[in-house]
Formats: sequence, C-alpha cells, structure tokens
Amino acid sequence: MTETTTEIISTKMNPNVIPHLHIWEWHIPLYLFLGGLAGGLLIITAVMIVLKRHFGIGPRDEGEGCPCLAVRFGSILAPVLLAIGMLFLFLDLANKFYVWAFYTTIQPTSPMSAGSWILIAFFPMAVLQAMLVNKKFLRDKNIGIINKLIDWTENHLTLVALLNAHIGIGIGIYTGIMLSFFYARPLWSSSILGMLFLISGISSAAALMLLFAPNHEKPIYSKIDTNALWIEMVVLGLFVLGGITGPANSSGAMMHLIAGDHQMAGISYMLWFWGGFVALGLLIPMFLEFLEAVGVHIRFPLVAPVLVLMGGLLLRFLIVFAGQTYHTFM
Amino acid sequence: MADKKNYGMVIDTRVCVGCSACVYACKSENSIPEGYCRDWVVQETNGTYPKLSMENRSERCQHCAKAPCVIYCPTGASHYSKDGTVQINRSRCTGCKACLAACPYDARYVHPEGFADKCSLCKHRLDKGLETACASVCPTTSLNLVDLNNPEEKALNMMNGKEVYRQKEHAGTNPSLYWISARNKPGA
Repeated sequence: MTETTTEIISTKMNPNVIPHLHIWEWHIPLYLFLGGLAGGLLIITAVMIVLKRHFGIGPRDEGEGCPCLAVRFGSILAPVLLAIGMLFLFLDLANKFYVWAFYTTIQPTSPMSAGSWILIAFFPMAVLQAMLVNKKFLRDKNIGIINKLIDWTENHLTLVALLNAHIGIGIGIYTGIMLSFFYARPLWSSSILGMLFLISGISSAAALMLLFAPNHEKPIYSKIDTNALWIEMVVLGLFVLGGITGPANSSGAMMHLIAGDHQMAGISYMLWFWGGFVALGLLIPMFLEFLEAVGVHIRFPLVAPVLVLMGGLLLRFLIVFAGQTYHTFM
Repeated sequence: MADKKNYGMVIDTRVCVGCSACVYACKSENSIPEGYCRDWVVQETNGTYPKLSMENRSERCQHCAKAPCVIYCPTGASHYSKDGTVQINRSRCTGCKACLAACPYDARYVHPEGFADKCSLCKHRLDKGLETACASVCPTTSLNLVDLNNPEEKALNMMNGKEVYRQKEHAGTNPSLYWISARNKPGA
C-alpha cells in the first residue's frame, strides 16, 4: 500500500514550547533528587529509631538515649537537603515574587499544591527529630527554649519518628506524583513513577548514610541499600514494561527514553539509561555490595554508594528531560 | 436558553486561506511580546501525491470545559471564568509552569514578565459585547465567536450536515473550539 503523507506547517513560535517543551531545566531534576534523598533519610532514620535495634538493625544507643552517629547525622541532613532542594525549586519559578500564592490556598486537584504544603509540614517534625537524637549535645549548649522543647518531647521520640516515617514516604512519593499527573506528557503519565522515585530516594539515602557511617555501622546501611536497589530494579522494570506495552503515546515515549537517540550532554538517552543508570547506577553497585555482604573485601568500598547517588541523580535528569523532549499527548 | 454565557468558537477551515491576519490582530490587541503568539496558523497537508488535501486553521487555547491547566494549577491562578472561558489571574501566578506541562494543546507560554500567558478569548472585548480581535479581522469569516449555551442560527447552519470535529477530544478536555473540516470541501 502506498503510504499517505502528512505535512504540518505551523507559525507557532513560543520559546521553550516549540519545537518541544523545555520549561524545566536542571533546577527541577536536582530538586527532585534532593527531595527524594531527604525523604529517604527521614524514612531510614525514623524506622531505625522505631525499631530500636530489633532484628539486628537500628541505632546503637550512645548514652542518654542518643542513637549512633549515622542516625544523628542523617536526621540533621534530611531537613538541610530539603531546604537546599526547595531553594532550587524557588529559583525555577518564573514569577518569584508571587511564591506566597502557594500558601494562601489549597487546590485539592493539584499535586503541586499538596506538595507545597507537605514540604512545609516536613520541617517542624524533621527538625524536632534532629534535635531529640542530638539532645546530649544541645543540652550542653544550654539554650532555654530548646531545653524546654526537649524536656517536653523527649519521652515521645518513638511517636515523632513514627510520624516522620510517614512524612518521609509522602515526600518521596510526591516527587514522582508531581510529574505523573501530567497526562499531556506521555512518559511521565505512569502511576508507578511515584514508587520509582520513592524507592530511588531510599536507596540514595542508604548510600549516603553508608558513606558517612562509622565502619562498625556500615554493614547495616549496605544491607538496606542492597535491598532497596533490588526493589528499585523491580519497580523500574514495571515502569519500562508498563510503558512499552501501553498505547502509542506511552510506548513511543518509553522507547524515546530507553532506545532514543535524542542527546543529553552529547550522549544519547539510550546510553544514559542502560549504561549510566541501569548498569552503573543499579547493577554494579548492587553486585559490589553483594560481594561485601558475603565477605569478599573490595579495595574501594565507597565506589558502590557513590555510584548509587549518581544513578539517583541521573534518573531524575533522564525522566524530566525525556518527558519534555517527547511529543505532546496525541 | 440560559442567560449564562459559554463562549467558544466555530472555525470554518474550508474558507481559511492562512493569511495570519488573526495572528497579527491578536498581537496588536493584546500587546503580545515579540517572538511569542497566543494564536497561530497551521497548514496540514494529507494524502498521496497528486491526490492531496489541505486544511488551514487558526489555532489557540481551546477554553476546555475540563481544563488540565485549571485542574493542575497549584494556586488557583488559572481558573474558569463565568463566561465559560479559561483565564489566568496574573497576581496569583508563581510561574511554576505546571499549566504548560498540563496542556495537551501546548497553547501556553511563559510571558517574559514571569507569568503564564495564553489566549483569553479577548475577555476584555467580550465583556464589552464585542467579538474577539481575531474574529473581527478574519477576511473570510472562518473565525466565528459563538455562545455555546445559545448558539446563533448562523453558527448552527454553518455546522449543519458537515463533518465537524474537536481537537484531541479523547483527552477528555471537552474543548470549546469546533472545527468544520476541510474535508467538507467539494472534491476533497
């Protein structure tokens, strides 16, 4: 059969809309990464506190109810990283003076409205947890109001941690849901994207804690990281399969990501995805940490967590960019 | 019929010659910054040579009854107006660009001053009882402003018995622009 041709000529010329969407650059992927990392840190530290070293995981008590270094430091890093992420989010706004408009309304159908409120809810609880796990050091400083706050809440650390585990999951999922509600962008329009970003945030957070944990605590975080990477592989597989088995919009967008020759920083999406993210960001660190777990000593044990962190960052860049360079919902 | 207005357009692609008068009328009426446009002309050619058919159409925001931009807007800046159009409140727009990502028609852009912008269906003119700038200059009456709640006989007659479509209806947006297909032309 002869193929019919379609030629479309348009006079539309709006920058960053034509020839394809280019509204979100490096700020948003970086924010999504830091948000996922902060959520992951809050989840891991909170769960560690709640578990109280049952099942062989959880913080060692270092006197006066203060858990070990990794949990203490992780609790501090969570709100700090989220604040840095929110700074990038703010920098991305085209109308910065109107940022207050987020906080004078609740729009129930807008994930971004829900997200902007979750971001605010995160801080008081995360900072409280960071203060409680570091109370030994804060008490030495002897600041009146902080002493009072610690006296008032120190017996409820488990409750605070339990709440924080949920807020952490909320933040982690939100970073994916924010994109997945845009059905006009076929790559993002997948309900499993929230889970993918959540689990990627947890694996990145475990990798970060593995980096700064003292040697005797490292095996715990290595174990968490390996398990998170396993789950991430499964969720990623479902995300890819869900895309390529879907209708033309979804399958085309997924092929654009996993087999596309569109370039990011001079390298095709296909190479970034399989070589950068799947191989270097998931499979190799998982293998290295597996070796460590079965007792094979690796010469540079920090390679694995660094690869995981870079993989997490790369995943956000790939999804945000490939979602925009593929054509609009047809 | 009800007093409540529900503005939309009936666009007759059979008579559109692609002159772009609508584009320039809009630019001048709404002071569109250089390099941007709220409406634009598309020329689509289909078929196998030498049997080709061509459709010219003047496109813009579809003023959807179920608009993804309004659904997604985190601050309520994008909203439905009482007259059935979709409008942007500039003093609530943060420039987060969610509406640009949400629009299946790519009808929006970020104004150099920071807010999201798009066709307003010349709301300032509708409020005065005038038609849109684009419709008022269209030399072939391809562009027709209609009140979908109370359509004039002219618009109904124009569509009667013709192949009329709406763009990306399967997106579930319930758009307010109706297109009389160029396939209705004799010999097409």
